[in-house]
Amino acid sequence: MSLQTDKRDFSERTLDGLGDSFMRNAVGSAQDSLKTRRLSAATTLGDWEQWRNVGQLIRQHTLQNLDYYLEQLADNVEKQGGHVYFAATKEEASSYIRDVVVRKQATKVVKSKSMVTEEIELNRVLIEAGCELIETDLGEYILQMDDWDPPSHIVAPALHKDRRQIQRVFSEKLGYTGDETPENLAGFARTVLRQKFLEAEVGITGCNFAIANLGAINLVTNEGNGDLTAAIPKTHIAVMGMERIVPTLEEMEVLDNLLCRSAVGQKLTSYITVMGPSAAGETDGPEEFHLVVVDNGRSDILGSEFNEALQCIRCGACLNVCPIYRHIGGHAYGSIYPGPIGAVITPLLGGYDDYKELPFASSLCGACTDVCPVKIPLHEQLIMHRQNIVQQRRTGAGDRLQMKAASRLLSSPALFGRSLRFAHSASRLMSKRGRIVRGPALIHGWIHARDLKQPVKQQDSFRAWMEKRKGGAEQ
Amino acid sequence: MTVSSNKEAFLNTIASKLGRERKTHVQRPVIQDLIPDSYGQLTNDDLVEILKEQCFFIHTQVIESNPEILQRTLDDLIEANGGGIVMTSGDSRFEGYGLAFPEAFVWEEAAGREANIKRAESANTAIIFADCALAESGTVVVESRPDQGRSLHFLPAHYIAVIERQRLVLRSTQAAAAFNRRIQAGEPVGSSINFISGPSNSADIEMKLVVGVHGPLRATYVLI
Ligand code: SF4
Repeated sequence: MSLQTDKRDFSERTLDGLGDSFMRNAVGSAQDSLKTRRLSAATTLGDWEQWRNVGQLIRQHTLQNLDYYLEQLADNVEKQGGHVYFAATKEEASSYIRDVVVRKQATKVVKSKSMVTEEIELNRVLIEAGCELIETDLGEYILQMDDWDPPSHIVAPALHKDRRQIQRVFSEKLGYTGDETPENLAGFARTVLRQKFLEAEVGITGCNFAIANLGAINLVTNEGNGDLTAAIPKTHIAVMGMERIVPTLEEMEVLDNLLCRSAVGQKLTSYITVMGPSAAGETDGPEEFHLVVVDNGRSDILGSEFNEALQCIRCGACLNVCPIYRHIGGHAYGSIYPGPIGAVITPLLGGYDDYKELPFASSLCGACTDVCPVKIPLHEQLIMHRQNIVQQRRTGAGDRLQMKAASRLLSSPALFGRSLRFAHSASRLMSKRGRIVRGPALIHGWIHARDLKQPVKQQDSFRAWMEKRKGGAEQ
Repeated sequence: MTVSSNKEAFLNTIASKLGRERKTHVQRPVIQDLIPDSYGQLTNDDLVEILKEQCFFIHTQVIESNPEILQRTLDDLIEANGGGIVMTSGDSRFEGYGLAFPEAFVWEEAAGREANIKRAESANTAIIFADCALAESGTVVVESRPDQGRSLHFLPAHYIAVIERQRLVLRSTQAAAAFNRRIQAGEPVGSSINFISGPSNSADIEMKLVVGVHGPLRATYVLI
């Protein structure tokens, strides 16, 4: 999988999402329960706002000094016998990893969940190189078994699937004969995957944070698959976006608390591990450790007006409060990064040509900004994207004309007032039961995914009501 | 392109995007003073209570024991787990507390990689001593060492961590600061530091929590 998960038009993808009632229910209830859990885990920390301030301070400090900390990290990994590779592009990153795997003559590779490996299309590259590659995170494993169905949530990638679908996939692809209870499905996956861990020659993980002064990486998981991936195979390759770094364990600890609480409402997840190349005398863990630091467009964001997007710690909290994500679901974003943060970073990493619609998939309610544990002004960044898209004349000529007309109308109170007088009768033919159900251009675009009420009759309007009162608005 | 020239070009790009020369010295902001304290002064007994309460939420049993009856407590737990092979770390505290288990493997450097992993995989119960424990999140902290591998914590079906009460601290904040002091003093730390909070779990299927996905199915902490 690459950054792009679906090449169809944004409108087609949203229609799919809007029509998938299971997915919409699943997303809605996941949002509700994760929101509540996040709130209670945040409250136990005491002054949550102060924790967010510290989180923001750490991320901003690290980004401002990124070259220094990356160099320190590389020196410390190398001191322990590990290898660090700096990849400017996704091709460089995946071909370096492929070369390591080929050199180790490995045919069996286990992987734990990692977004950046999706970004660099690592699975495709390794499968083409002849490897049996297994995703070991339960959600990712389900998606892989279902012919690499794309993830729909940053933290819960298989959120859009119900247990019956999973049972069907397991029975068709793996000969599973049990029932559809999550316990039995997960127990079956445990047995299958345990064998894969024991057989694999190479384990590949992502990296929640790299710790510069220690020369190690930090993994935050609940299942333990990341630990097994790094502990059993003789070679461990960790892949990190270049911004995922902290100076020391002290900063990591703050960010892990923010991450666990924001992502799943836990104080800490079951397994938080700091790991690097095995030390002398230790008999498991990697004999060979590679850390691949990936740029792939991130340096273009650094120092730009979108710099703060690099503060993201991928907790998914912004998805869990987003009304748009709730209705259209993760696949509609057509990116491995869905939701508000996806709408901000996908166009930055993948360009406006493919993703110019995403910044408009927002109500600008600001819920994402309020919830973000590292204080990224997400909705403001979406507005900046919109401004860029308009300034670069990437909206269609028809759209521009309509917006011009709308702007003339909306900036003149007199003109606006006059047109309201006719709005009700003019919209009669397009409306049904008080809602506009068809219409041209802008109206069509709006009602495609939202409700639009028919304007009220002139005598029932707010303006008429005001005019009747002394001191009412004059036109 | 060699790795190091790659590094230089990569880091130079970052510096130039930030509009400056490469940094050779950085002053870390002091964050410890900024972190709010929501608990105030706590005694060791308070910490035990906080730990017990949290463990209820993370599906982890807490057994209060003491050095005199520790052997019996552990024997009972092994039996409750269905018996079978036990694997312990080679921690000297097993000897110090006079613990011994029939049918037990010990993680040891001399056994080598294959044998240690195979033993851990065949063990029904792992028993380890926590290096320290965090009351607030119900976490045991363990470092990898030649006598305590990484997979020992993940492969056996059941996980028992013995926690000495005096090693209880409030939160990860204290543990991270202690580790960082050691790192800055140049002391070696294990190549893997594990913060383990209960058994493995997943909510990947319809957001329903399933305990015991890849790692242990059950976790028990024994407080002494
Ligand atoms: S933008 Fe903020 S809330 Fe969204 S995933 Fe990133 S850190 Fe979490």
